[in-house]
Amino acid sequence: MLHRRIYQFLIVYGLGIGLLFGIKMTLGLSDYVIPGPAGVWHTAKAEFVRYIGDVLDTFFVAVVGQVLSILMALTVGVVGRRATWFGSFIKVAAYNVQAYPIVAIAPILFILLGDGFLTRLVIAAMICYFPLLLSIIGIMGEPVSDIEHFYRVTGRLRWQLEVKIRAFENLNKLTTVVSGSATLAMAGTIVAEFIAANAGIGYSIRIALYQSDLSKILVALFIIGITLSFYQGILELIGAGVKRAWAAG
Amino acid sequence: MHSHCALYRLAIWTLLLIIGGSIPTAGTATAGEPIAYRLKWLINASTAGDVVARQQGFFERAGLEVEVKAGGPERDAIRELELGYAQFGVASADQVIRALAKGASVVVVAQLFQVNPLQWIYRAADFSLTKVEDLAGHTVGITYGGNDETIMRALLASAGMDAGQVKLASVRYDYTPFFQKQVAVWPVYRNTQGIFLADKLKAGGETVAFFDPSRYGVRFVANSVVTSRKMLDQHPETVLQFTRALLDGWQAAMDPANEEATITAVAEHDRDTADEVMRRQLAVTRQMIQPDPSIPIGHIDTAAWQQTETIMLNQKLIDKPVSVISRLHPQSGS
Repeated sequence: MLHRRIYQFLIVYGLGIGLLFGIKMTLGLSDYVIPGPAGVWHTAKAEFVRYIGDVLDTFFVAVVGQVLSILMALTVGVVGRRATWFGSFIKVAAYNVQAYPIVAIAPILFILLGDGFLTRLVIAAMICYFPLLLSIIGIMGEPVSDIEHFYRVTGRLRWQLEVKIRAFENLNKLTTVVSGSATLAMAGTIVAEFIAANAGIGYSIRIALYQSDLSKILVALFIIGITLSFYQGILELIGAGVKRAWAAG
Repeated sequence: MHSHCALYRLAIWTLLLIIGGSIPTAGTATAGEPIAYRLKWLINASTAGDVVARQQGFFERAGLEVEVKAGGPERDAIRELELGYAQFGVASADQVIRALAKGASVVVVAQLFQVNPLQWIYRAADFSLTKVEDLAGHTVGITYGGNDETIMRALLASAGMDAGQVKLASVRYDYTPFFQKQVAVWPVYRNTQGIFLADKLKAGGETVAFFDPSRYGVRFVANSVVTSRKMLDQHPETVLQFTRALLDGWQAAMDPANEEATITAVAEHDRDTADEVMRRQLAVTRQMIQPDPSIPIGHIDTAAWQQTETIMLNQKLIDKPVSVISRLHPQSGS
């Protein structure tokens, strides 16, 4: 599972960068527009260690943001699963709030929190929270009729059991949603760093853009991609492990 | 196996051709063809001449159909020249020198700003900056990777100061750290943001002053008009006509007698700036476009270009000299 994620990423990255070099060669573009393989290699040698540090910094914030958003989404999703007025309100609020682009909300966050760790964390959590919430509300709001019916008629269906049944029956979906939210959390953190922070790979990409240095961006994209692939692979392994343990129990 | 390889190769080449075919590289508009002119930033008082040249028919009278396109943080005129999306553009000297260092074939045909509008604003009541050494102990804002970082580092080096004597703080478009006095010295474009920020502080009963690097020997070249070498070689007449029309437009825009017409032209694009503010922005822009009446608008300051290259070399922003002087091609009248 893990190695598959990584080699799939390597194929995608290789195809992408190969296409760029192909366009460069076909159109005879200078290194200023698209850097050559040698330029990218030299940049990779010079910046790799620094960029790994930056990516890990970003990754740490993204993971904390993701965990926070999973906890929040689970809490709100469990409350919002009910077909009550409050449940319906939560759903409508989630749909409405996620419609606002984060770049429109970000300036308010900068003013309130300044530009630093907390702003990065909040933006990362916000970007991955709402899609997570909608998926979790969808999963938790859908009854597993044939199983729940038995407990309902015997009067033993408490909310904890209902949540447990729905989570177990949709474990594959939940794993996919959580794994997918890792990408969103990372993207959110990078966006936050790009527009607000003084650290992380998003900040380094912003500087590279100022310097019109596409090689640095290609190197950054590689490290971001491989880190995410590794993390998603781990999440999928954990998901499979949880399912096995749960089924055995 | 061989047939599979051939199929993959065919697919890759087809893809490249499709993508390549959709990118009109190194476009060199001929007479009668529309010309795209990519600015460096959004349209405001800093681009008054560019807008006036189009709106008041200077390009049209020269027989050119020119579209003036606003720039922005994600735009890069030099890339667009090479990709054929624009035939002329505005770029700062550091952009030109970086592009040359990476093999781009770009030439400079006119220099719009004789004085770099990039300066630092500070509260006059809190302290005074009369020499570079006065920056010691203050928090100075810079945009890491931007040309203000290069300029500030060159200033500090010129005074024999190191980064430890000045606290450098990363800044962006949000001025809150300056308003809250977390950053005491803030980089601005003197003729646009400088006016707006001075007004804001004045409304709060504060006065401001500006720290101008050129007064301390750092003459880092700002916005200049660029085109591709191919365009200059293949269509020298078009380049000449474009440059003349553009500089005539700037001449008209900077003439105080045409102030109302210039403000009307700029206001069409910059709807958020009040006319009264724009009037003051234009007054400062005039001093930067033509500080000395004996020097024509568009004059290329060779010594300043050379100094800019030297600064970039010293700061290791380029690996080796690019002989930027050889890429300066002043057109008649500039």
